[in-house]
Amino acid sequence: MPVNQLETAETLARPLARDALLRARQRRPWGAIALFLSPALFFYFAFIIYPVLVTFYNSVHTLRMDLGMLYEYVGFEHFREILAEDEVFWKAARNSMTWAVVAPCIDIPLALILAFILHSKVPFARFFRTVWFTPLLMSYPVVGVIWLWVYNYDWGMANLVLRAIGLGPYAQAWLASPTTALPALILVTTWMFAGFNMVVMLAAIHAIPAEYLEAARVDGANTRQRLLHIIIPLLRPTMVNLAILDFIGKMKQFALVWVMTRGGPMWGTETVATYVIKRAFEWKTLDLGYPSAIAVLWFIIIFGLSLGLTRFLQRREALEF
Amino acid sequence: MSRARLTKGLLLLPVLIYTGFSAGPYLWTAMMSLRTTDEIYRNHYGLPIPPHWWKFYTAWTEFGYATYFRNSAIVAVVAVALITIFGAMAGFGFARRRYAFPLREPMFLMLFLSVMFPPQIMILSLFQILINYKLFNTLAGLILVYVATELPVTIYLLRAFFAQIPQELEEAARIDGCGDWAMFWRVMFPIARPAVATTMILNFIYFWNEFLYAVVFITKQEIRTLPLAIQFLVSDQYFDIGMLATGLMIATLPVLALYFFLSEWFVKGMTAGAIKG
Repeated sequence: MPVNQLETAETLARPLARDALLRARQRRPWGAIALFLSPALFFYFAFIIYPVLVTFYNSVHTLRMDLGMLYEYVGFEHFREILAEDEVFWKAARNSMTWAVVAPCIDIPLALILAFILHSKVPFARFFRTVWFTPLLMSYPVVGVIWLWVYNYDWGMANLVLRAIGLGPYAQAWLASPTTALPALILVTTWMFAGFNMVVMLAAIHAIPAEYLEAARVDGANTRQRLLHIIIPLLRPTMVNLAILDFIGKMKQFALVWVMTRGGPMWGTETVATYVIKRAFEWKTLDLGYPSAIAVLWFIIIFGLSLGLTRFLQRREALEF
Repeated sequence: MSRARLTKGLLLLPVLIYTGFSAGPYLWTAMMSLRTTDEIYRNHYGLPIPPHWWKFYTAWTEFGYATYFRNSAIVAVVAVALITIFGAMAGFGFARRRYAFPLREPMFLMLFLSVMFPPQIMILSLFQILINYKLFNTLAGLILVYVATELPVTIYLLRAFFAQIPQELEEAARIDGCGDWAMFWRVMFPIARPAVATTMILNFIYFWNEFLYAVVFITKQEIRTLPLAIQFLVSDQYFDIGMLATGLMIATLPVLALYFFLSEWFVKGMTAGAIKG
């Protein structure tokens, strides 16, 4: 009986649904849809999807630039060589990963502290916010040149400050040693991005309903407790987003290295991004296949890590609430 | 009362230290831009007294900054114009219920995922493609690539805005005889002006400052953009610090001047992509 009823309902509903669908399809303004979407889709397929597919294709070929882009199929040979024999790649990968992990660990807490201070009604807060945000508006070459001067051994600002506060013995040529060059560059990206992260967090703090903080105050929570138990937990999604954004950005880092150190000294600041460009255009191997394979490998790693990171961090959050 | 003031004073200290860190390097460069290289080598931290304003004229006319500035301006303005109109059209098409079709949401998701692509995954084959289509070493080629790379974010932001506009408004306009294009161009686009302005600022800064694609796709000196030119000037005139500092000012002042007047808009634009992940 119930089965029968169901069938009736279905047979009754089916033609109705089909009619509705048909009518909807007739009314669907395909001309307008094409008009609005086609320019963007053209750019997307011609300059993003197609090149990505070509890069994947190139990564299993040797592609000689000097012989009119002569293709020769090599299978996964490039990948084997990268993973098994290419020491520069491993150095570059380690540097990129270090940058991508260390930078968010500095940028996000620093930005949180700055945002919290500005939130505590410091005078001229708007002025400070405006100033701190400024470095983000400059191009990497501009930033790179300025910081080449800051790190100058004889007259740079870094050593000037160290000498002024009595740490003169620590003054050194920051970009000349493989151990200090990478940290020096990481500091430059912090200089650029801390203000940006701060502004986003400040907006998130302002978005916290005032009643929460007021209720905590009434219950006798002091500033530190309000920060630890209310602001930080509520800011967590924002911090996760910013950390992932920072992570991805640093995995792609190219320009600052290119202008300031060119990957040196001794590959101390080589990143995967700079290595790809070097292998393609600077080393006289004249093969676009090998660097394409590096790009494919790095693409998979970035994609995998950022999806995994998003999942992991957001799941932890879901568990906590 | 005094305790509160003490706390405030204690908070102000890290603020001032960070401000010194944040603004110091640029102010130092600004001072050097008004001093000659000889003066700078005598004292790197001297005040620009008297200020040598003529250095800006010299950099502009004799060191090629006029050309580089023009190239950057062409690229940024044309690319922003294209991306704004195409991005708004697509954002509108992806947002409104009227234009829904079965694969629209997956298509949009795919478009959005490309935000995560590292440029290296496209740049080498784009190099090949641009050569094949005679767009290598042209500003037009650079503009096309710029538009493509920033379109996903632009569409994402504008779609969110267009989706919020109430359906009743669209229906009212349609009853008044508004066609699809007029609906977009005369009704929706003007309403979306704040969101459009936000993406325009975000994209302008990105195009004005972009370096990686410019390095690979531009090798002729006369079509270098400012970031590219600066990279070459560093190695060519490494010791002419004074003139280089002037050049850095020329490259940054337009953006910073705008930022000074429209800082709220800039902050909104630059952080627009970050609030929602």
